[in-house]
Amino acid sequence: MPADSALVRVSGIHKFFTRGSERVDVLQNLSLEVPAAQFLGLMGPSGSGKTTLLNLIAGLDSPSEGEIWVGDQEISRMSEAQLARWRTRSVGFVFQFYHLMSVLSAYRNVELPLLLLPLSAAERKRQVLTALEIVGLADRIHHKPGQLSGGQQQRVGIARAIVTDPTLIVADEPTGDLDAKSAEEILDLLQELRTSLGKTIIMVTHDPRAASRADRVLHLDKGRLVNETRAEV
Amino acid sequence: MLPSSLQLDAIRAPLFGCGLVALLLLSGRIPLSYNLYNLLVRWRATVLTLAAFAMVTGLLVVMLAFVNGMYVLTLGSGRPGNLIVMSEGSTDESFSNLGYSDVGDIENQSGILREGDRPLLSRETYLILTQPLPPRAAEEPSFRNLYGLAPPAKPPSRRFLQVRCLDDPLLSARVHKLELFEGGRWFSEAGVSAAKPRAGAAATANEPLAIEVVMGEGIAKQMARDRGEDPRTKPRLDVGDTFELGNRTWVITGVMRSEGLTFDSEVWAKRSLVGPMFGKETYSSLVALTGGEDEARKLKEFLNNDYKKAAVNATLETDYYKSLNETNKQFLVAIVFLTAFFAVGGVFGVMNTMFAAISQRTRDIGVLRLLGFTRWQVLVSFLLESIMIALIGGAIGCALGSLSDGTTANSIVGGQGGGKFVVLRLTVDAATIYSAMLLALSMGIVGGLLPALKAIRLKILNSLR
Amino acid sequence: MWKFALLVLQNLGRNPLRTTLTVLGTMVLVAVVTLVWSILDFLDKQTAEKSNNLKAIITERWRAPSQMPYSYVRGLSEAGATEPDDFRPLDSMTWAFYGGTIDPKNRTRENSVFAFCMEPEKLLTMMDELDEMQGEPKAEFAATVEKLKQNRRGIIVGRELLANLNKRVGERMVLYGFNYKDINLEVEIVGLFPDSRYNKSSAINIEYLLSALDSYKREHNGTPHPLAANPVNIVWLRVPDMAGYQRASDQILNSPSFSNPAVKIETLASGVGAFLESFRDIIFGMRFLLAPAIIATLALVISNAIGISVRERQMEFAVMKVLGFRPNQLLGLVLVESLLVGTLAGFASAALTYFITNDYFGGINIQIAFFSKFYIPQAALWWGPLMGVGTALAGSFLPAWTARSVKVSDVFAKVA
Repeated sequence: MPADSALVRVSGIHKFFTRGSERVDVLQNLSLEVPAAQFLGLMGPSGSGKTTLLNLIAGLDSPSEGEIWVGDQEISRMSEAQLARWRTRSVGFVFQFYHLMSVLSAYRNVELPLLLLPLSAAERKRQVLTALEIVGLADRIHHKPGQLSGGQQQRVGIARAIVTDPTLIVADEPTGDLDAKSAEEILDLLQELRTSLGKTIIMVTHDPRAASRADRVLHLDKGRLVNETRAEV
Repeated sequence: MLPSSLQLDAIRAPLFGCGLVALLLLSGRIPLSYNLYNLLVRWRATVLTLAAFAMVTGLLVVMLAFVNGMYVLTLGSGRPGNLIVMSEGSTDESFSNLGYSDVGDIENQSGILREGDRPLLSRETYLILTQPLPPRAAEEPSFRNLYGLAPPAKPPSRRFLQVRCLDDPLLSARVHKLELFEGGRWFSEAGVSAAKPRAGAAATANEPLAIEVVMGEGIAKQMARDRGEDPRTKPRLDVGDTFELGNRTWVITGVMRSEGLTFDSEVWAKRSLVGPMFGKETYSSLVALTGGEDEARKLKEFLNNDYKKAAVNATLETDYYKSLNETNKQFLVAIVFLTAFFAVGGVFGVMNTMFAAISQRTRDIGVLRLLGFTRWQVLVSFLLESIMIALIGGAIGCALGSLSDGTTANSIVGGQGGGKFVVLRLTVDAATIYSAMLLALSMGIVGGLLPALKAIRLKILNSLR
Repeated sequence: MWKFALLVLQNLGRNPLRTTLTVLGTMVLVAVVTLVWSILDFLDKQTAEKSNNLKAIITERWRAPSQMPYSYVRGLSEAGATEPDDFRPLDSMTWAFYGGTIDPKNRTRENSVFAFCMEPEKLLTMMDELDEMQGEPKAEFAATVEKLKQNRRGIIVGRELLANLNKRVGERMVLYGFNYKDINLEVEIVGLFPDSRYNKSSAINIEYLLSALDSYKREHNGTPHPLAANPVNIVWLRVPDMAGYQRASDQILNSPSFSNPAVKIETLASGVGAFLESFRDIIFGMRFLLAPAIIATLALVISNAIGISVRERQMEFAVMKVLGFRPNQLLGLVLVESLLVGTLAGFASAALTYFITNDYFGGINIQIAFFSKFYIPQAALWWGPLMGVGTALAGSFLPAWTARSVKVSDVFAKVA
């Protein structure tokens, strides 16, 4: 991969669903590039297609037309099983509602994706502890999600997203369910991931304050990119 | 309490189950703790399902132990090398009549082992007698109206008692390889002795002497039970005890170590005395001790085909008892039928639990899939849960069912020709545990599979919504 | 009340899969218990003493199988009555069992015939089940019996037996005796038993057996057949009541004519009871182990299903409480829901079991001694719902109590 090329390249994608005989276009002829180590915000009203775009980039869904490349891999051509394997190594997910396994401790939750990789127990332990250290929860590793605050749960979610050391992190409204103070902390953490670990982050959000922390913000409306804001760096 | 005969066989199914779990864990790389925690979180459903599994397997163990007890008798009673000779056309001792002169001739055939000039052969007259029973103790469940809701009925008044009448008990015991418990002796040549007078009743000089008998341990226990003896203080009748039959008093001179044999349910007495008393003057069978299985077979062929003096039917003793297997098979069929129904009912219960587990955890499934876990791994994860319930519930059921091991029960073993009333011991063995665990495991797999299949059909994005 | 009915139905319809599984589980388990209870009920009825118009059986006192001389028959049929004012039974019947095969080289269960050798006319008046026939079936069978009377070498066979032998009515066959060795009977099938417990049985005129025994003696230079002395197995009496039975019993037991061999007399019910003694542990197991264990499993299955559904609806119950539903109304709602499932499934299962076993299969084929077939009694139609109600109540009470005691604040706190 040449150094100057983008990490994520989306070119000319269409995404539509058929509802009965009706065709609903969600994304239309959309292209975009995200350079490595950029923190990108995606904004737009409900139904603008921003989450769909995120899912496509994360390999959870396939476009009806067009290509999506992440690094040197064309993920729009992968089978479901290939995608599953690719996701494990290359993408980390952060959700609005954290989506932690309520029966597992913070440690076990973070360890979950590592089970899919050929790692020894010791290696797994080291990586899990590192990830929890990064998110600042080293002292909470044996707590279950129910015993943690919303902000702390989201940190566990982020730790789980980075534990496999993926290049790309996608976050869907990561602060949507948090109070202002916790939200700020989470955004700090995401910025930190980009600056010190060089992660590429794509974040969907409603919240202009959250968006303002991104390097670059794209606005979607009715399945098209409408304008772009660049944060002053 | 597991029987001492428990071998590797018994743990084959659990071992297989655990192996399956391990294999699934490896191939699935699903954290076992995740499944365990989930079982604990839904502990109420888990406990109820476990209990249902335990019921089904426990009951199967008891029922199989019963049939096992029957097989122990039919497969174990015949002694290899023994040949049983009855009159032609008889397939059962109770219908056979051998003439006196024929008996004398048959016992001099070559092939029968001898000691000096005495052939090692047991002359036997087999009688089934009706013995009046003492009135049943009050606390025993009534026979009537499903659960005894109606007034208690008059208790059944008699039982069938199998009496083997012998000329020489020592010789017969040797042929059948039976011994007495310590303190006993074989009945005397006269076959009678003065019985100890019953407590309270004065011994009168002109009272006839009591008929001496030895009896199997099983029937001695049954008689004690029917008499309402406390099983802790007097588990069986013993030397010196008496019973009434045919207007005579019978006294026990010895109890045979007969566990696992049909002789366990028999009373042995002097033929010349007891045979005529009940109108049977002839012998019903001869049991000959030969040098071994081959010699027995040879003698059998000779007697059946080339022996002209009398028409007889010779059978290897092992074959004779094996032919009584037919009832066992009928019981097995009934058990399989019942268990199948029972298991289907149980499977529906497990399915409920697992479907609920899945609907509670749709989001977990979505997250797992999104993290890169494949459908197969998710399937394994859910299957693991129902298999774990099955193995634990099955183990509890086997443990409970095994408590029945050694319990005695009355039954009939029989074939086409006739049958024997037997006292059998419920026998839990390796094969029993194996079958029960296999059933539990299958119920777990069947009950868990449909829900697990549903789990993996979920679309990632839908399940997160 | 009715306004809640809709709520209950909606709840059951909300998770059709779970409702279906629970209903199916209930039905299967109820069906097994119904089968088990049917057998027990049948045996109970057989051993239940009748007070009027009852039957007594006379057999040899000590030995089994019972064998009595034919000379006893005349006296026993009269219950040993000698004086004009002695008690006389209403009716009587003599049985001698004859077993024969049509293929002596290769005897199997299928080619074997077990026959009651008896007085033909008693088939109509003394045989259990047949003596209760009425109307046309009775007239039809009476015509068959008449043929047996006319044809001394006739045999009436059961339907299954006829099929097993692969014969037709009107055909002749030779039966090679196996309990009466060398007594071979050449019989002609004159008709069929009605569809009944006698489907595998057959009946021969006892005169034929006796004359065959006589011919044996003639052909063997006056040596009688070994069993000729005692061919009779059972003599039946019909007596009006227990007092009559008692008198018959006294007359027979005190008569010097029946002392060698000695005989015993007992009511049919106690005879059957004594026979079932050998099975008492199996019957005990069915009654007190098998059936209760299945019912307990059923309660567990129902409890599990209702419990799951209650836990899933915590939130709804909380909302309903906020809306003003009283705790006991919630309790009732859950109970009614499970009762409805239990009762309907129980009834459906019992009814299906009843019709499928009785009408489709024509009874359950379990051979315990001389009982060949068991039918599901009509009482099963209420056993089913009763089991459903019982297990539903037992299984759903705790879950219902949970629903009743839902704490609104807790539920909302968890969700928020």
